[in-house]
Amino acid sequence: MTDLLDSIDAKLSEMLTNSMHAYDITMNCLLGDTNLETVREDLYNTDKAINELHREVRREMIIHSAVNSRNLDIPLLLSYMTMSKDIERIGDYCKNLFEIAETGNSFAKGDDLDTYMELKNDIGKLIVYLQSCLNLDDESKVQDLITLGSSLNNDLDEKITALLEDKEKIQYPVATTLFYRYLKRIVSHIVNAATAIIMPTDQIDYLDE
Amino acid sequence: MVKMKKRPIVNILLATFFLYSFLVSIKLLEKGIKTLGAEYTDALFESVSNPFAGLLVGILCTVLVQSSSVTTATIVGLVGSGVLSLEYAIPMVMGANIGTTVTNTLVSFGHVRREQEFKRAFAASTMHDFFNLLVVIILFPLDLYTGLITRMAENGTDFIVATGFTATKPNSPIKAGIKWGSNNILDGLSSIPFIGNLSENSYRAYAVLLIIIAITFIFLSLRNVVSNMKSLMLNQIEFGLDKALARGGGLFAILIGILITFSVQSSSITTSILVPIVGSGILSIENAFPITLGANIGTTITAVLASFAVDDPAGLTIALHHVFFNLIGVIIVYPVKAIRNFPVNLAKGLSVITAKRRYIAILYVLVTFLLIPLLGVVLFN
Repeated sequence: MTDLLDSIDAKLSEMLTNSMHAYDITMNCLLGDTNLETVREDLYNTDKAINELHREVRREMIIHSAVNSRNLDIPLLLSYMTMSKDIERIGDYCKNLFEIAETGNSFAKGDDLDTYMELKNDIGKLIVYLQSCLNLDDESKVQDLITLGSSLNNDLDEKITALLEDKEKIQYPVATTLFYRYLKRIVSHIVNAATAIIMPTDQIDYLDE
Repeated sequence: MVKMKKRPIVNILLATFFLYSFLVSIKLLEKGIKTLGAEYTDALFESVSNPFAGLLVGILCTVLVQSSSVTTATIVGLVGSGVLSLEYAIPMVMGANIGTTVTNTLVSFGHVRREQEFKRAFAASTMHDFFNLLVVIILFPLDLYTGLITRMAENGTDFIVATGFTATKPNSPIKAGIKWGSNNILDGLSSIPFIGNLSENSYRAYAVLLIIIAITFIFLSLRNVVSNMKSLMLNQIEFGLDKALARGGGLFAILIGILITFSVQSSSITTSILVPIVGSGILSIENAFPITLGANIGTTITAVLASFAVDDPAGLTIALHHVFFNLIGVIIVYPVKAIRNFPVNLAKGLSVITAKRRYIAILYVLVTFLLIPLLGVVLFN
């Protein structure tokens, strides 16, 4: 029989499935011609589902702690706490990205569409990759994910810096800066969640230091 | 994520062994009491001839051993050996019900650093105290003057004996197995020169030694049954509480309380688990209450098991009295909202005071569970 820790793993995985869905429909709005009204309801409902799963994870951690008070794996629970928070934030940034589309900005017809599509796919793969790492005790795989995410974040940082320094002439400079910025936050949360799987409790989130 | 591996087979074997050791210990207690002789035991139990003194002794003993199961099992052993009458034993078992609530009240002190958390945790623990006090206030005089629950327990015993239920027969395999174990231990003890001499030359000292050994082993065996059953049932407890949380209170929560306590043989485990859950705020005090009531019913199984080890059917009668008392208590208190809310609101009221002045919480425990019972025992004697 599985225990509540397995149930927490399953809920984190479900949160990631929902996050992937939220990310996909949001990016389709920005990079395609999807109907925003239809997506809006779906996105906000998906985010609500992610938030509820986040609360369920917390509740199950409390029950697990109360029942196993004498043999508690505190670092593991702290990891779950930080991971669930990081995953929950992906949904919030998808809503921020959606707000860019809602204010009339679209990257569907620009010259950089291929670059954006590539970026969309790379980040989507990272979410799926994180999901596959949840139940694995494979440090090298998680390490690969952290390396990929960090490299992607460096690229996004360079793009943001270029826009801030006005080196690139594009149609929606503010929206594009925010777009990159939100994508960078999504990648950072994925990387942070990955650090929680393999790193010592005090080092979680502090990859650069 | 790396998680700890469990060893269910080891837990099953250990729980079975310690359950057997618990039953053998009850038999040893019966033997020790019988060896002591009637004139001594009569004098010993004279102090609980006053029902109020019996009630308070029940509270005190349970507070000292931190387990109502140890107290009730010992009482079953005493009743089963014929030295303690039902009349004296009943108030003691009721007292054990009150005394056992001290454990989760002590657990609530773990939340003392955060005011709101402590308020919820303390209310979650003391609602059990107030419930048991309320039930004793209602049922203790009722049973004392009408003998209603006692008659129900006696009729229940007659019915079970009449059905020929194997554990109640003097020559049942269960009783034979227990007797075999206790006889081997007695032989083993007699082969030790010091104890052998004692059994031949000073039977009273030998009886006292047997009683001490038996009570120690009842305590240790139950402790190990509880810890192994808890390890074995961890997942079920977690999922049971998770489901109870999702469904809110109600009969389902009572059932969860019964099942958890029944499986781990300790109401303190169930109620102590609830304290941090309520303290964290994810389970309301009102929804935790039925789980606590279920724990009160589930805990009675230990006394029933203990009755299988004794020869006299009176052992089963006191165990059934414990079952009916706790069952009727829930039936009286739970269905009507106004009555159901009474112990909960008392606990909430006290928790508001203790959250502001935490020394009152310590005073409450000392006065309720030590000072009043001690003074009462002295006064009533």
